[in-house]
Amino acid sequence: MKRVLPILVVLLLLGGVGYFLLNDSPKVEKKEIAKTFKLKEFNRVRSCAKIPQFLYSLGIKRPIIDLSQMHYKGIAFYYGARFNKVLHKKEWEVFDALGTYTIDNYGNIYLTPNPFISVRPSTFNLQKAIYKMDSKSGKLSRWMVIDDVKPNPTNPYGLISIVYDCDSGELIASSIDESNYKAQKGVIYQINPKTKTIINRIDGFDALTVNILHAKGAKYLIAGSARDNGVYTFTFKGDKIDSKANKLFEIPNPRLRVRKIRVIGKNRLKIEAIKFNYSLVAETNKKQRFVYIATYNPTNSTWSIAEPKR
Amino acid sequence: MKNEYKIALALLIIGGLAIGGLYYKKSHKSVKVATVNKNLDSSDKKVIMPDTDEQSAAKIPAVEEYLADLKKLYEKGKSTLPLQKSELDNNGVVAQNVALKSKEFLSDTKMDNKLLHNDIMRVMPAISATLDDKSKKECKSSVCYVVEKYNYALNSTTRAIVDVKAKRVVSVKRYANSQPDISARLTNIAKEIALNNPKVIKELGHTPTPSEISMANVRSNLEQSPCEDKNHLCVAPTFADHKKERALWAIVDLTDLKLAIAKWAGLGKTYTPACIDERTLENRYIMKNFCQKDTNLTKFGWSMKYHLTGSDGLEIRDIKYKGKSVARSLKIVDWHVAYKGLGADKLDTTEPVMMAGHRVEFIKGVNNEYTFGYNDAMGCPMFSTSVVLAFNGPQIKEIKDKNGKVTGFYIVQDFRNPKWPMACNYRYENKFIFNKDGSFRVVAINMGRGCSDKAIYRPVMRLDIKLSDNKERFALYNGKDWDDWQIEQGYRSTGKEKMLDDKYLYKVFSPEDANEGYYIEPNRGQFHDNSRGDNEDVYVTKYKEDEGNEDLLTLGSCCKLDYDGPEEYTKDKELIENTDTVIWYVPTIQNDDKAGEEYCWADSIIDKNGNPSVRVWPCIVGPKFVPISN
Repeated sequence: MKRVLPILVVLLLLGGVGYFLLNDSPKVEKKEIAKTFKLKEFNRVRSCAKIPQFLYSLGIKRPIIDLSQMHYKGIAFYYGARFNKVLHKKEWEVFDALGTYTIDNYGNIYLTPNPFISVRPSTFNLQKAIYKMDSKSGKLSRWMVIDDVKPNPTNPYGLISIVYDCDSGELIASSIDESNYKAQKGVIYQINPKTKTIINRIDGFDALTVNILHAKGAKYLIAGSARDNGVYTFTFKGDKIDSKANKLFEIPNPRLRVRKIRVIGKNRLKIEAIKFNYSLVAETNKKQRFVYIATYNPTNSTWSIAEPKR
Repeated sequence: MKNEYKIALALLIIGGLAIGGLYYKKSHKSVKVATVNKNLDSSDKKVIMPDTDEQSAAKIPAVEEYLADLKKLYEKGKSTLPLQKSELDNNGVVAQNVALKSKEFLSDTKMDNKLLHNDIMRVMPAISATLDDKSKKECKSSVCYVVEKYNYALNSTTRAIVDVKAKRVVSVKRYANSQPDISARLTNIAKEIALNNPKVIKELGHTPTPSEISMANVRSNLEQSPCEDKNHLCVAPTFADHKKERALWAIVDLTDLKLAIAKWAGLGKTYTPACIDERTLENRYIMKNFCQKDTNLTKFGWSMKYHLTGSDGLEIRDIKYKGKSVARSLKIVDWHVAYKGLGADKLDTTEPVMMAGHRVEFIKGVNNEYTFGYNDAMGCPMFSTSVVLAFNGPQIKEIKDKNGKVTGFYIVQDFRNPKWPMACNYRYENKFIFNKDGSFRVVAINMGRGCSDKAIYRPVMRLDIKLSDNKERFALYNGKDWDDWQIEQGYRSTGKEKMLDDKYLYKVFSPEDANEGYYIEPNRGQFHDNSRGDNEDVYVTKYKEDEGNEDLLTLGSCCKLDYDGPEEYTKDKELIENTDTVIWYVPTIQNDDKAGEEYCWADSIIDKNGNPSVRVWPCIVGPKFVPISN
C-alpha cells in the first residue's frame, strides 16, 4: 500500500485538476462570449454650442429645432413660453427634408439631409451634402459636398448624422450610402470645417447617429448602428478616431435602431430609437420614437436599459 | 529515487501535459463556439413561410371542434366561448357562470348587432395583485375569482372579479389593445396547428409529437403580438433540436387559426425573443429569397426568371416560350393615385401635406377643380424606395378551366401598406398569367381602400417584348386594317374602337416574319373578373437601357390626368420601325364605394365567426398577348 500511495495521490490530483479544468462550465463559456468593452466613467459636459445670432437678434433665446418634416419642410424653430410660435422661411425648404443637426461655438447650424417619403431625381444629389445655416444671417446653404457619397434606388440614404466636436473644432458626419442587405459600407468622416477637408474616415460602419462622449481620461465617439439595435463606441486616439468599433450594449427591441444619443448625467444616456430598414422613412416625429435610459456601471462594465415612465 | 516515486513523477508530468493540452484545446473551442454562436449560419436563421393554401387549419380535429362550438354558440345568439369544465374547479364553474350573466362583462360582445368573437381565457382564484381597494374589501371576507376574456374583434381583454359566495360580479375592467394569457384549450389548438403543418414537418424531418413542443412562457414575455397584424392573438411555440443546438419557433395566429411563419433560432432562449416577429421574419425571407437574387422558373413550355425590385414591383425577365424569346422584361413600375377635389382657388399648398405616409402632390385644374395624390412604388421591404411593400413572397398557382383542366399558371405578388385596409392605405397585386397555348397576360390588381371615392388609379406597365431577332414593329387597328407606328408616340383608347375579331386593338410583331409576334387584347371586361375595362393609354418607345430597364424611381405625375409619364420617353419621336422597342400600357381606373357597386374598394368587417376580417372588391386591369400564329 505504501508503495502505491504516491501513484494514487498523483492520480487523484490529476483527476481533480482535470475535472475542474475540463468540465463544461457555462460560467466559463459565458465569460468567453460576453466580453464587454470597459468604458471609462463619463458625464455630461457643457456644450460649446451657441444660439444662432440671427435667432438671438429676433428675441428667440431658447428655440426647439424641428426637423420632423411633419408640418414644415426643411427646418423650423419653435419658441415662446409654450413653444407655440414658429419661425419658418420658404427658402429653408430648398434642400428638401433635413434629418439631424449640430451647432458650433459660433452658432452656425450644420445639418444632414434625409430622404423623406417620396424620391425625386434630385433626392440622391441632396443626400451627398452637409448644409449650413449661417449664425448671423440665417441663410441656409449647401456647405460641403462629399462626392464619394452615392445613394441609389436600393439605398436612398447618404449623409445621415453629424456632430460638432467642441474640443477640436471638427465636424464628424456619418453616411450609410451603398450599404446593402449583405454588406455594411457606411463611412464616418472627420472634417476640418475651416478647410472643408476630410482628415480621417472610418469605413465599414453604418452609423445612424453619432455623438461625443467625454470620459475620465478618454474621449469616445458614440454611435447607434443602422444595422442592429446596438450602441457602439470608437475611441479617440489623440485627435483621430480609432477605427475599431466596440459594442457597448443593445436596446431591448431588436427591431429598433438608435437614432439619437444624449448624455443626460453621470454614466447615463438617453436613447431614442426608431424602426429603420433602409427604405423611405415616414416616421420622424417624437410619437414614433422609442425612448430608453441606459445606465452604466463602471465597477463591472455593465449596462442597464430601462424605459422611462411616461 | 524509489521506483514508485519515479512512476508517480512520470504520471504527473504526462498527466499534466495531457490535461494542459486538452484545456488549451477546449478554451480555443469555446472561443470558436462563441464566434459561431454570435454569427449563426444561414440554416440556423432560416425562415419558413407556409404556403397560402396550407394555412387553413380547419381539418385538425381540435380546431374543427373549436369552430363547431363557436357555431353552436352563435346559433344561440351568444359569442363568448366559455372554458371547458376540465379547465375549471367547482368555484371556477360558479364564477364563470356569474360572469357570463353580467351585462357589464359582456357589454363589448356585440357591435351594430353583430356578434363579436370572445373567449374566456382564465378563471382562477383572485390574488391580491389583481384586486383594487374596493374589491379587496369585499373579497377579504369571501371567496373571489378572476374571470378573464379576450375580444378578438376589438383586441381587448376584460377582467371580472366575481364573489363566488355571493354569486355577483364585484368589478369589471377592460383593457384596450391588450392580450391575456391563453386558455389550455387554445394552447392545445396552437400546438396542433404547429404539429400538423406540412412545412414544419418537413423542416423537422419527421412528424413531431406533442412532447417535442414547448409552450413555456409563450405569452408572458411578449410585449406585443408577434404577428404582422398586432391585433391578432398569436403565440410562438417551439420545437427544440438539442443535437443541433437550435429551436424552431412557430408563430401561430389564433385569430386566423393558422401558422403565420416559422424560424430557426439558437437554443437557450427561455422566452420568445422579440426577433420572432412575423413582419421581421417575412422581411428577411423576402429579402434573402426574392430581392437578392433571381429565381428561375420553367413550366408548361415557359421559362423565365423573376425577382422583386426596389421600386418596380415584381419583375419577370428573359421570358421564353418553347425556346423562343418572348420578352426581356415585364413589370408594373408605378401606381399613380389621384383624387378630385373642388376649391382650387382657395387651395393653400405652401405647407407640405402628408396622408398616411405619402407626401401629397396638388395640381390645380380648371373650373375651380384640382387633383391631389401621390405615386406609389411597390417593392422590397428593405433597402428600397417603395412605400407599398412586398407581403409574403411570389406565389405560383395553376389555372384550371371550368372542367378542371389545367390551362396554365400564374405568378402573383402581394404588396401592402402596413395599415391596409385603413383609409389611405393600399394593397396591390402584380399578376402574370402564362397559358399553355403560348398566350400571356400582365395584370395589375388594386384592392383598395384608398382615401375616398373619386379616386383615379393608373398603373404604369412597362412591357419590353423581345422577339427572336430583337426587332419589333407595332401597329394599331383602325377598324379595317393595321396602321404601323413608325416613330415613338402614344395613343389614348376610347374603349369603343372596332377591334380585329372584336378582341385585338394592337399588335407587336417581327419585321422578318409577320406571324411571329402577338395580338394585344385590351381588357374590356371580357376576362370574367368583374373588371370595368382598361381605358388605356399606350406608348411605344425605342429601347434604351436608362429608360426603365433598371428600377425607375417614379415616372410622371400622380395627378396630371393627361400625362402618364412615358411621354417623357417619346419626346424625341425616334424611329421605332424594325428596332428594339418597349410598350408602355397605362390603364385608368375609377373607384367606386357605392353600396352594392363597390370597385377598387375594401372594408373592415366582422365575419360570420365574429372575427375581424376584410371584404375586398378588387379592380383588375391589364392586356393579354395572344400569339399571332394561334
